[in-house]
Amino acid sequence: MKRILSGNQAVAFGALSAGVKAVTGYPGTPSTGCIEHLLTMDLPDRHVEWSTNEKVAFEIAAGAAWAGHRAMCTMKMSGVNVAYDALISIAHSGTNGGLLIYVADDPGVSAGMAEQDSRGFAIMSRLPMLDPATPAEAYALARTAFELSEAVGSPVFLRLTTTVALAHTVVDVEGPIPPREIEPILERDIARYTKAGAAICQQQHRDLIERLERAGAWVHDRKLNKLELADEPGGLGIVAAGAVNAYLNEAIALAAGKRADGASTLKLRTTIPFPWEETKRLLEHSGTILVLEELEPHVERAVHVAAQRLGFDGPIVGKLDGTLSPIGEYGVAEILAGLRVATGASSPTHRETPRPTDHEPQTATAASRLITVCAGCPHRGTYLAIDAAIEEAGYAKDDVMVTGDIGCTILGMNPPFDLLWNEVSMGSSVGLAQGYVHAGLKTPVIATIGDSTFFHGGIPGLINAIQHRVPLTLVVMDNGWTAMTGMQVNPGTDNAFQEDGRRIDLEQVIRGLGVERLYVVDPYDLTETTDALVKCLKHSADVSVVLARRECAIQAARRGVRHGTTTVDPETCVLCKQCLRVTGCPALSLGESSIRIDPSLCNGCGLCVSFCPTSALKWEATE
Amino acid sequence: MTCDIVLVGVGGQGVLTIGELLLHAAFEAGAPASLTPTKGMAQRGGFVKVELRLGREGVGPRIGERSADLVVGTERSEALRGIRYAKPDGTFVLFDHIWAPTGVMLGSDTYPTLAQVTEAIRAVTGRLVVLRPADLPTVDGRTVRPNVYVLGAMIGTAPLGELLDPSTVERVLQDRWPKLAQTNIAAFQAGLRSVS
Repeated sequence: MKRILSGNQAVAFGALSAGVKAVTGYPGTPSTGCIEHLLTMDLPDRHVEWSTNEKVAFEIAAGAAWAGHRAMCTMKMSGVNVAYDALISIAHSGTNGGLLIYVADDPGVSAGMAEQDSRGFAIMSRLPMLDPATPAEAYALARTAFELSEAVGSPVFLRLTTTVALAHTVVDVEGPIPPREIEPILERDIARYTKAGAAICQQQHRDLIERLERAGAWVHDRKLNKLELADEPGGLGIVAAGAVNAYLNEAIALAAGKRADGASTLKLRTTIPFPWEETKRLLEHSGTILVLEELEPHVERAVHVAAQRLGFDGPIVGKLDGTLSPIGEYGVAEILAGLRVATGASSPTHRETPRPTDHEPQTATAASRLITVCAGCPHRGTYLAIDAAIEEAGYAKDDVMVTGDIGCTILGMNPPFDLLWNEVSMGSSVGLAQGYVHAGLKTPVIATIGDSTFFHGGIPGLINAIQHRVPLTLVVMDNGWTAMTGMQVNPGTDNAFQEDGRRIDLEQVIRGLGVERLYVVDPYDLTETTDALVKCLKHSADVSVVLARRECAIQAARRGVRHGTTTVDPETCVLCKQCLRVTGCPALSLGESSIRIDPSLCNGCGLCVSFCPTSALKWEATE
Repeated sequence: MTCDIVLVGVGGQGVLTIGELLLHAAFEAGAPASLTPTKGMAQRGGFVKVELRLGREGVGPRIGERSADLVVGTERSEALRGIRYAKPDGTFVLFDHIWAPTGVMLGSDTYPTLAQVTEAIRAVTGRLVVLRPADLPTVDGRTVRPNVYVLGAMIGTAPLGELLDPSTVERVLQDRWPKLAQTNIAAFQAGLRSVS
């Protein structure tokens, strides 16, 4: 059946058509769309969930696979860092049912976080990784990955990049097949499922190495990596990995007449296991090699090893010779640059500079469009209250460390708030803050974090701070949703949206950990929130927590929930722009002679009202 | 017949919707097609780019610089970010909507004039169509959706108009908004007329 699918959806369909039993993951752009799509479907006899974090998600998938079922776990590249602790251990044990880790890398950083190459994790853990170039390949390789996983008994990575995950195109898919009807496997074998002692661990290490070797033979037999040798030997040989392959034919056509059209090609769908045999044949047939891969030169290094073993002494063009950059996404332009050097049309005098991103200034006249929080966002109230509390407690803003965390809450780094100093990884705000305290800061230290991020990785940091009596203030901004990735349910989401799950109350969690100084506030109430924060900042003996609680305005608005109505009296407004300057609210704009409020955006949070010096802004609560 | 399209604008303007409508129209017409959205983090108000490659088999979804047959900017300032994708002889459709960022409203950042933007576009291609929000038609006293109007204008330019028949796009509009089909088709046709 032909359908329009994104790469993310294609992975979901691939897994369903392979009879997947359990799918788990943590939201993270660009990988979110896979589970999002599955959650819109009626899937009896299968389990699909957003898990607390990627490590938990992977462990659940691994348990289901050890019990004999096919299971998949999804995450963005940063999630692999979190899951890796469990992943390396399970890699050494292997799997029974097919176990697939779908990871989306982000060359070009369209979604944020470190521009890392997850292939490095596959190399470290000796796990096979399949690298599709299109949504259609993503569908096919998701199915292949389950087969490979069971053929060799190894977890398998499926790696998409942002463009492959988000591109929509027509994919021919088969319908879902139900999960196997089996009794779960219960196998007592500590030599396989524990790490009890050197003998066991080293045998598992031997097994791991052997599984990847068998995966290499399996991939070779299936011809997953496509070698096409030119009629004439001695010419250009191109090795291209993953997403770059989608652009190869187009670039070669554009470069036709410059000797590139007679090139031999090796199109890789696996970097790990590395296709030594195909590479050897390409090297034997070619005089020059061009290696095209996004991010780190993993393939290129392996090509150098193969060349050295073979005594190949022609040029190898790629990143290691300075022609191409490990930064950014590759498209036709990068391939053409590589072809120019590889065909002798230009020399690698300097490293190719990566293309500017769309966010970098194109011309001096383009206005900058910094991202801020939505109209009505409760975080706006929290930022404004932190700002006010710092001043009220007698400190200067530039003397107070406010650590930031992942998710919408990080937007407090941007104007007009300019409040947060750093962003590291899920939950890191709490640990970083403790380090600043121990470094001897004389001023208060504040950590900020969102609800989902707190559940994901913030709790161990808070436990540490409580145990060690670290004087800091943690502000948990609880909007009830995992908002930045497009509104996923998390452990704190209201029971009405939990489907089969149940809500965990953050207030009880924080009290249960032993926090004595806990203030639960409504961030729409600036006075209450500021007062609580001032008390915390003046208390220097222990951990204080402010739980700023109010549902995400976007979600509330979607259900027609309006907090109130904010209006402007055009007679009294003097267009001083103070409301705009302080709140930066997207619902506010400049009218002819007064501030204008966009009624389709404003949800009547009323935060702007208190900053109006002429009382032209008025607020009325919804009855 | 092939057509590579880059659309740029601000989140909330319905830029992605234009892309989806065209993708479905291409699907209906049996033409190979891909659509790739690039969104910032915000729900609304951030930079949005959508790439469409229509009528081409075996190409990647991204469009290189100086190679789009059609570039569409749905906001004056953001249109500047689309210029580098335009082919030298390509078409540029500018919908001159102004969505000033807060920094501009506060006077801490500048905003381009229409002349600055059209001059920058004309430095790359002379085939420029400027659509004004004031020219949006009204149906039953209400102004129509700007994105559907822009879509009409796009179909009025070559080579897109040769690749997709207006009636195919109208069918897709009908399927997407059955209750508002009349209004949307009127908006679409007004856009189409604006370039003929």
